Amino acid sequence: MHLSATSELEGADQPNVAVAQDFEALVRLYRPKVFRFALASLRDLDAAETVTQDCFLRAYHARDRFRQDCGMQTWLMQIAVNLIRDQIRNRRFQFWRRASLTAQPADVAGHGMADRALSPEAQTIINERVAAIWVAAGKLPERQRTVFLLRFVEDMDLLEIARATGMKEGTVKTHLFRALRAVRVRLGGTA
Amino acid sequence: MTHLCSEQLSDCALGEPSPAARRHLEDCPACRAELGNFREALGAFRGAVHCWSENQAQAALAVHGSPSESRSWIASHQLALALLLAAVCILTSILWRPGANAPSSDAVLLNQVDAQVSRAVPRSMEPLTKLVAQE
Repeated sequence: MHLSATSELEGADQPNVAVAQDFEALVRLYRPKVFRFALASLRDLDAAETVTQDCFLRAYHARDRFRQDCGMQTWLMQIAVNLIRDQIRNRRFQFWRRASLTAQPADVAGHGMADRALSPEAQTIINERVAAIWVAAGKLPERQRTVFLLRFVEDMDLLEIARATGMKEGTVKTHLFRALRAVRVRLGGTA
Repeated sequence: MTHLCSEQLSDCALGEPSPAARRHLEDCPACRAELGNFREALGAFRGAVHCWSENQAQAALAVHGSPSESRSWIASHQLALALLLAAVCILTSILWRPGANAPSSDAVLLNQVDAQVSRAVPRSMEPLTKLVAQE
């Protein structure tokens, strides 16, 4: 099977993403997304690279089983979610120790909104809020963190997240509510 | 006025406000500001993670790219150095013949032995022989 990314290159993540011209084009198109999601979930560069490579390797081997009932991005994210879950479970005892060494809130916050013409004070406030969300997201339970990142970093809608995570749409929404509540509390809002 | 509850604000943040919440937002500057701040923070978070991820990917490329290049550079220079040393060793072994000009160590040793054997008395007894000769 050829996996086409051409229709999505034009901006459509349709269920009928079917025919592909070449797997390399698909990797080029989706690798940044998968890597970003893995990195934000695991907060470890090496682990994120491993997951990304494994994701495309599995996708390549399973390309004949791609049923086209969901978008290519959703299918790849489904594979990535499972791989990330395995990674976290395999490394549960060292995960947060390593995470604390690799990705500090300031590392991420320092990259936010750099191109906007903000005053230094406003930039500081934004950075603090980004850091607070980063910390809050890191403390979320695994499923809440997954749906939060898929929704607010990868811009996936509830149905896509449900397909990628294997949860029901209502369950996804519940996890999102809880995640948002935790994030708002961290930001200083009311629960 | 009752402000929006957490779930209603979450609905709004997810882009799915109920009609009642939407009406409330139109009339309530406080809830509107809170939702605006929350959305702005989430947007900044999204932008920061995207940017950070791109930087990390580039950093990983630099880290994994340059060592292999430097490794190949070092390997090629090591090979050249090894070949040069081998050539020097071969040339040295061809051109330099030990013993061609200088006496061999065996010959020196034999001369020393001859000198010792040819003595009438050991060196330590030579003063005695001088005394006997004087008498």
